[in-house]
Amino acid sequence: MRRFYVIGFGLLLLFDTLAQISFKLAGDYALPLEFGPAWLLRVFGAPWIYGAFVGYVGAFFTWMTLLRHAPIGPAFAASHLEIVSVLLLSHGLFDEHIGTLQLLGALCIVAGILCLAVGETESERAGATLEHLPPAPHEPPR
Amino acid sequence: MNAPSGGLVALLWTLNVVVDTAGQLAFKAAAHDAHESDGLQRWRHMASRPWLWLGIGCYIAEFLVWLAFLSLVPLSEGVLLGSINIVVVMLAGRLLFGERLSRMRTAGILLIATGVALVGLP
Repeated sequence: MRRFYVIGFGLLLLFDTLAQISFKLAGDYALPLEFGPAWLLRVFGAPWIYGAFVGYVGAFFTWMTLLRHAPIGPAFAASHLEIVSVLLLSHGLFDEHIGTLQLLGALCIVAGILCLAVGETESERAGATLEHLPPAPHEPPR
Repeated sequence: MNAPSGGLVALLWTLNVVVDTAGQLAFKAAAHDAHESDGLQRWRHMASRPWLWLGIGCYIAEFLVWLAFLSLVPLSEGVLLGSINIVVVMLAGRLLFGERLSRMRTAGILLIATGVALVGLP
């Protein structure tokens, strides 16, 4: 189950980040913003917007697979790690400024994810069943 | 929030929380409902039930509500209020799916919600 979560949330983070960064690149490339066919042609004529599609679709399928086992409360919270990756990448790629509060917030999010990870490891070690879900047929009973 | 459109802002924000939470719960219900089948069969099962489509419908509605909301408040305020959604989804998961809220889990979720709020502060 640990592997399932690490791979699942890792993929989700990758797809979510890809979508956000691609949207930004697509928007930047298509500047100036105007509501007409010329702008749309610029958006869809560059590869970036397709990265955003891949990110959205990939994130959807990953999320629905994760939710098979993951409880929605902690999983929904954990999906916000995307904010940290986008914050760091937008600093590296677009020279966006990261303020003290934003840095503090990013640290809080990472600390929260660590709490969730430790909590799951502990409950698995204690032999507690994951949730309300019975084990899936292909898995050994916990 | 005390601008003349304060009532509308509050309404849109409430709608955002409701639609976001409903969407996530619908996705969880879809995944839970189909947890016994595998692979393509699982997707076929999910597609034949209303939950998945309710979730997707909520996503589309949320997109529109969010767009309207952000046209009235600055993005930072929007992100700030979005952290409330994390807590609401946690409570709803507890109530509707009986999800355990151990001390570590609750601490982790609240830390993440605080972090999201901090990132959103101007």
